[in-house]
Amino acid sequence: MGPSMLALVQNETIKLLRRRRFLVVLLILAVLIPIFTYAQYRSVVTAQERMGTTDWRTLLQQQIVDTQNRLASSRLPEEWREFLKIRVQQQQYYLDHDINPMAPGAPTFARGFMDQAVSLFLPMIIVVLAVDLVSAEYSEGTIKLLLTRPVRRWKVLTSKYITLLLFTSLTVLMTLLLAYLISGVVFGYAGWDLPVLTGFDVTGGELVTSAVFMLPQWKYLLMQYGLGWFVCIVVGTITFMVSVLVRSAAAGMGIMMAALISGTILTQMASTWESSKYLFVVNLQLTDYLAGTLPPIKGMTLPFSLAVLSVWAVAALIVAYAVFIRRDVAS
Amino acid sequence: MGGRAVAETVLSVKGLRKTIGGRPIIHDMTFDVYAGEVFGFLGPNGAGKTTTIRMLVGLASADGGEIDIGGISLRRSFPQAIAQVGCIVENPELYKFMTGRENLEHFARMSGGIPPERIEEIVRFVDLERAIDDKVKTYSLGMRQRLGIAQALLHRPKLLILDEPTNGLDPAGIRELRQFIRRLAEEEGLAVFVSSHLLSEIEMMCDRVAIINKGRVISVGPVQDLMEQFADRVAWTFPPEAERRGRDVLSGLPFVERVWPDGEGRLYCRMDTERIGEANAALVRAGVPVLGIAAKTVTLEDLFLALTGGGGEDGAEHARTGTK
Ligand SMILES: Nc1ncnc2c1ncn2[C@@H]1O[C@H](COP(=O)(O)OP(=O)(O)OP(=O)(O)O)[C@@H](O)[C@H]1O
Ligand SMILES: [Mg+2]
Repeated sequence: MGPSMLALVQNETIKLLRRRRFLVVLLILAVLIPIFTYAQYRSVVTAQERMGTTDWRTLLQQQIVDTQNRLASSRLPEEWREFLKIRVQQQQYYLDHDINPMAPGAPTFARGFMDQAVSLFLPMIIVVLAVDLVSAEYSEGTIKLLLTRPVRRWKVLTSKYITLLLFTSLTVLMTLLLAYLISGVVFGYAGWDLPVLTGFDVTGGELVTSAVFMLPQWKYLLMQYGLGWFVCIVVGTITFMVSVLVRSAAAGMGIMMAALISGTILTQMASTWESSKYLFVVNLQLTDYLAGTLPPIKGMTLPFSLAVLSVWAVAALIVAYAVFIRRDVAS
Repeated sequence: MGGRAVAETVLSVKGLRKTIGGRPIIHDMTFDVYAGEVFGFLGPNGAGKTTTIRMLVGLASADGGEIDIGGISLRRSFPQAIAQVGCIVENPELYKFMTGRENLEHFARMSGGIPPERIEEIVRFVDLERAIDDKVKTYSLGMRQRLGIAQALLHRPKLLILDEPTNGLDPAGIRELRQFIRRLAEEEGLAVFVSSHLLSEIEMMCDRVAIINKGRVISVGPVQDLMEQFADRVAWTFPPEAERRGRDVLSGLPFVERVWPDGEGRLYCRMDTERIGEANAALVRAGVPVLGIAAKTVTLEDLFLALTGGGGEDGAEHARTGTK
């Protein structure tokens, strides 16, 4: 009786591709990654010109001195001071162990790109993908075609969700691939085995290095993109719920963009409002836990953020299913 | 019509109710639709036609009552029941960014177990072979309607439900659709459920009709019966002193079935409008002066007035025959 889930997912995939959503995502990546590559290239060149050297040790040493001078000026806000202090300690640790934290190369670029993209850029791309997945069927009236066939409603919604998971994963994969391929033209394709340090712990404003260990960069990238994937799945799931609740794609887009952008603002000033750590948008910078920078609010850890994000995603799914299954289709 | 007694009941609706936002919209609706017939669902704007149809096809839940399709409960076994239904609710909604064929393939996958040859067959059946590989956004309304029908018939349903299918079509399109619907019922044995707010339309294509108003079924019966009750009324106006004689003359004519006053100085009689001349000649011969003659075609408003008891004895009579 009735169609298989595979057939339903096939339908949803065809519609998503025909609506050109994935194409738009690829185009955004293909335009923005070269821009970031060029910006990265410029900043390296400028630094080298300013210092008159290409030795990374000298450059890193100079950066540490610069930051320490700023810290001494003492007109900085307290949170910012702490953030810089931790960074200096970390840079010193890299220097002491003779590891270049930004050794040029496509894998390093991909790592830096994910650090930058994980809390706003990638989530926005996922919103583009997911925001009208359900609401378009309502606004175009085609929901009638889906709900008057021998398929239970939960199955219809599940086929859409599976399709979203597929394309979210594909988007993260394409981000890595395009970041690597495009930036490699400028920086070269080597550097998978470069050592990267992780396991930094921040306790009471001090960097704890007792648990620090070294990873080859490819392993680090795997972990980092895994966390990025998780962030994208969570944002996609929440957008999916919005798509069920809100008929208009423009309204859904507005809601999600407002949430994501206020999240970025909050993470920069949230240390004074502690309970904001339970908002999903404050927990998107997961890759920072790997890199060992100061979390936006004291006491936030990787397991804490993973838990908060999971709870949000599960709650969003429950709301989406409950509403989709019960709601009457009006004209 | 004698075959109806043995025809299968394809759709059975009992005591259907729906409340929206605390306001009862559908009250206790009951009717049956049989295989091989075109069943009209006639009511004015806002009568509750679309709301009822939404419940019949699973787009809205019923607040009470039973819907059985081919003997299977829609509420308890939704997939099995709905698998026998093809429908177009309000407008034929299609994916405009896909071709006609892709739309049909999408729909086939939603239904399950439809061989590719069936798509070819249905495209030929609705005569869309030339445009089937064009994007639907390039289609005219008539073509969309035909693709919608192809979609509704693709999985060989027993019951076809169409909500105001002639909306927006030109007269030629309407005629074509009407013939198409008749053919489906007569040749393919489908039960076709058609809603409309136009009496003339229902008269031309339906076998039986349910008349609904304000969410209630007012009467269910063969269209023939309904039309016989109401068709061909002629209103005669006489000077007051001649009214009695006029009535006697008209009553005496063999082709006049019944004569009754409308209470405003006019006499109504039920007769073939083509014989007005003959009746007039008879009156003239009897020396009865005639001030005015008007052939009345029945409008839906007249019908409701009559059926809900506002139209005097005539309505009461039909209401009785209708609920038998
Ligand atoms: N979602 C809704 N919320 C509130 N009222 C509704 C809703 N849907 C329908 N109604 C009301 O129910 C009544 C019946 O509406 P329905 O659309 O079923 O009528 P209809 O017979 O199809 O009319 P039409 O010929 O205009 O299509 C109307 O009075 C309408 O206002
Ligand atoms: Mg309607």
